[in-house]
Amino acid sequence: MDLDKAMTISARGMDVETTRLRVIAENLANQDSTGSTPGADAYRRKTISFENRMDQTLGVATVQVKRIGTDPSEQQLRYDPSNPAANKDGYVKQPNVNSFVEVMDMKEAERGYNANLSVMQATRDMLTRAIALLK
Amino acid sequence: MDPSRLPLFDLAEQRLAWTDRRQEVLAQNIANLNTPHWQAKDLVPFAQALASATAPTLARTDPGHLAGTQDTAAQSLLTPQPGVHQPDGNAVSLDEQLTKVADTATAQEIATTLYKKYLSMFSLALGYGQ
Repeated sequence: MDLDKAMTISARGMDVETTRLRVIAENLANQDSTGSTPGADAYRRKTISFENRMDQTLGVATVQVKRIGTDPSEQQLRYDPSNPAANKDGYVKQPNVNSFVEVMDMKEAERGYNANLSVMQATRDMLTRAIALLK
Repeated sequence: MDPSRLPLFDLAEQRLAWTDRRQEVLAQNIANLNTPHWQAKDLVPFAQALASATAPTLARTDPGHLAGTQDTAAQSLLTPQPGVHQPDGNAVSLDEQLTKVADTATAQEIATTLYKKYLSMFSLALGYGQ
């Protein structure tokens, strides 16, 4: 039944937005995580991308997480000779996490989650009305 | 008497099938709000869908002919909707999609209400309303 499928599609949509929020939480929590050995890389920001793929068991295409990758952008250096991750010149690599970008992403994920939730509520109301025809 | 052959019940049934299917398509658009290169889709309007649902079917003039496999709610009814592209190639406008969801829900409510009203007229005629 199409309404059931619509519910599943919305649920998967909420699912991927939740995963996205988890990735953002990881990034924000690690925005100060430097390496532990001299000259080591600091935490690399994680990225997430989605794709629409056919779900064979359901017979509908649902949104899924395509890949959780890392941001290859350059890590800035900060002078901190006492840090265990400092290289021979006393510079420490800083994580390439930008909290502004993460917070914006968080808002977008929240918006996507809410939109999927609204569709789910609308679909549920439609189902309820269809069932009420029996009364 | 087969109630499903009465014009109003038949029409309501097709309308409900159309709203169900449309809700699925819109749910898919909204779930793919952040999928790169996703194009928003929609069903063709109900009046048009109804006209094509009553289209002639393939004739079988020989017993060896296979029956046509025309699905009335087929994928071919989906039309990509033009939209403004975001940098990642996604072209889903959230407010537009949510408005369509609300429209579909209203259309479904009207169809179910009419169905119920019509059915209650039958109940009245059969004497259940006393």
